[in-house]
Amino acid sequence: MASIELVELTKHYKQGKSVVRALDGVSLSIAAGEFVSIVGRSGSGKTTMLDLIGLLLKPTSGRVIIDGVDAGGLKDNQRADVRGQRIGFIFQEYNLLPSLNVLENVMLPLRYTKSRVKDGRGRALELLEAVGLTERLKHRPDELSGGQQQRVAIARALINRPAIILGDEPTGSVDTQTSHELIGLMRWLNREENVTFVIVTHDLDLASRADRMIGLSDGHVTSDQPVEHAA
Amino acid sequence: MEIIRNLARRKLRSTLTILGIVIGIFALTTMGAMAEHFNALLDGGVKYFGSNVQVGAPDGQAAILPLSKVDELKQVEGVDAVFPAYSFPAKPGDISAVSFGVPDTIASGDPAENRYSAFKTTLAQGRDLTETSRGEVVLGSTIANEFKKNVGDTIDLPVKPKNAKPDFVNHTFTVVGVLNPTRTAPDTFASISVADAQMLFKDTLPVALRGTVDTTQVAQAFTVYGKPGTSLAELDRIADRINEQVTGVNAIKPSTLVDAFKAGGATFTAITTAAAVLALVIGGLSVVNTMIMAVTERFREIGLKKAVGAHTGHVLREYLAEAVLIGFIGGAVGYGLGVVLTNLLNVAGRGSNLELFLITPSLTGIALGFAVALGALAGVIPAFRAARLDPVTALRTTN
Repeated sequence: MASIELVELTKHYKQGKSVVRALDGVSLSIAAGEFVSIVGRSGSGKTTMLDLIGLLLKPTSGRVIIDGVDAGGLKDNQRADVRGQRIGFIFQEYNLLPSLNVLENVMLPLRYTKSRVKDGRGRALELLEAVGLTERLKHRPDELSGGQQQRVAIARALINRPAIILGDEPTGSVDTQTSHELIGLMRWLNREENVTFVIVTHDLDLASRADRMIGLSDGHVTSDQPVEHAA
Repeated sequence: MEIIRNLARRKLRSTLTILGIVIGIFALTTMGAMAEHFNALLDGGVKYFGSNVQVGAPDGQAAILPLSKVDELKQVEGVDAVFPAYSFPAKPGDISAVSFGVPDTIASGDPAENRYSAFKTTLAQGRDLTETSRGEVVLGSTIANEFKKNVGDTIDLPVKPKNAKPDFVNHTFTVVGVLNPTRTAPDTFASISVADAQMLFKDTLPVALRGTVDTTQVAQAFTVYGKPGTSLAELDRIADRINEQVTGVNAIKPSTLVDAFKAGGATFTAITTAAAVLALVIGGLSVVNTMIMAVTERFREIGLKKAVGAHTGHVLREYLAEAVLIGFIGGAVGYGLGVVLTNLLNVAGRGSNLELFLITPSLTGIALGFAVALGALAGVIPAFRAARLDPVTALRTTN
């Protein structure tokens, strides 16, 4: 079963009197467990596509099917439930809550969703061990480096055992070395947790480590091909 | 916990906001405590004067009424008991710059009157006067405290003023009882027997009259009761009948006195309401301002929470809870400061019969409830604004 299916997905914005066609009739499917990168120049529509897949935006037309759920007829709170239970987000700016410590940040999504995870704290500790932050449980975000904050955000994205992780420039705010480590971590989690990763990036290193690279330009898919990995 | 940390993150702003509510609730508590004190005072008056008919001398005549009027008054339909009444200043010549209550008073007290009056007094220590009491006094709580008297002590009444005239006379009384506080008139009363009151009455007469007036046969006024439980309307009718049937006296309709007390109570209620409005304006605006800023500064947090599954209701509840907590903290601190200040002022004023404040359970409930409601009310609009934010817009906001 496809993890993500987009059918003639279109998103138009009004900008003054003109209409911006951010995404224009995109159809594609992404299989469960795939690691997909979306690349393109600024304004190509890749972030809009990610927001539509993440049910943060409603399409002008077309359909988004997430882990078997057609999001078309869902109300706002139902869309929030799908996000909470089936989708994890990783943002460029980490978006950790400054008033919460590392462990609390990872457990945040559990506050809002009927989680499939029985032992939330146990799951959070397990994920923090996986991302190498066991020693930092009680630290606040401002006491961590950028790379460490992004590791916390990755653990948070996985807390509800989602089917899909969406990343918007997840390595955009860290140095090359840290970026390399984060990419390795995401790939490892992709295999270990069997989670679908869809990453929007300008980072060619990251894009080249995906299974598949989708190119966007002016709201259209211009390329969609598997990535050849060096043996 | 997260709410407290959010407040702690912005210490200065949180403190200033809470301070706004503190000032409002502090004003509400102190003004309210003063209003409660006066309302208790007036309520006592309503209760006492609403259960009897005060009969005095006709307008323009000296308050010297023959005791034979007692029998005439008892003949009036509906009258069940008549008590001669005498009262004198306990501290003659004492001029308070400001008077916030009933001044210290020596009053005649018949133990039987407590059976008829709707206003009941109880003893904190000792016993009541008896029909044969002579040279004995029962003190109200305030006057006992003012002169530091307990059962067994003696007190000279009236209290001799510093500039007493050469013919000033007072008498030594033994304290046989001290009343529990009533928050109204009896607290400042020294109750003595009718016989002793008649003796003091004689002392108050001009020297020329002392030999000609037999004070054992006169009273200053009468307190007239119907059967216990007689309605105010019936007491009014009794007053009318007294004025029609008994000559040389003037009966005041109790409803006239009750209405006067209630009008006074309404004034103090208006003071409390004004304080409450002040609290609403100062505290409410500061909470609205803080919460709007908090929402604006935390757009991304709200966006993130929505992204990870928070419903509109979750966000609404979180921001409302924060506003309510601000209201509660400000309310608790403002109320606490109000209680401390009013108690200190009461202690300082106790020596001069100037206890002006009364903290009641209802005032506590109003102050804290008002603070919480204020927080909730002021937080509603910012919380709605936060809850309705579009997650994409919120996430892309740069602070």
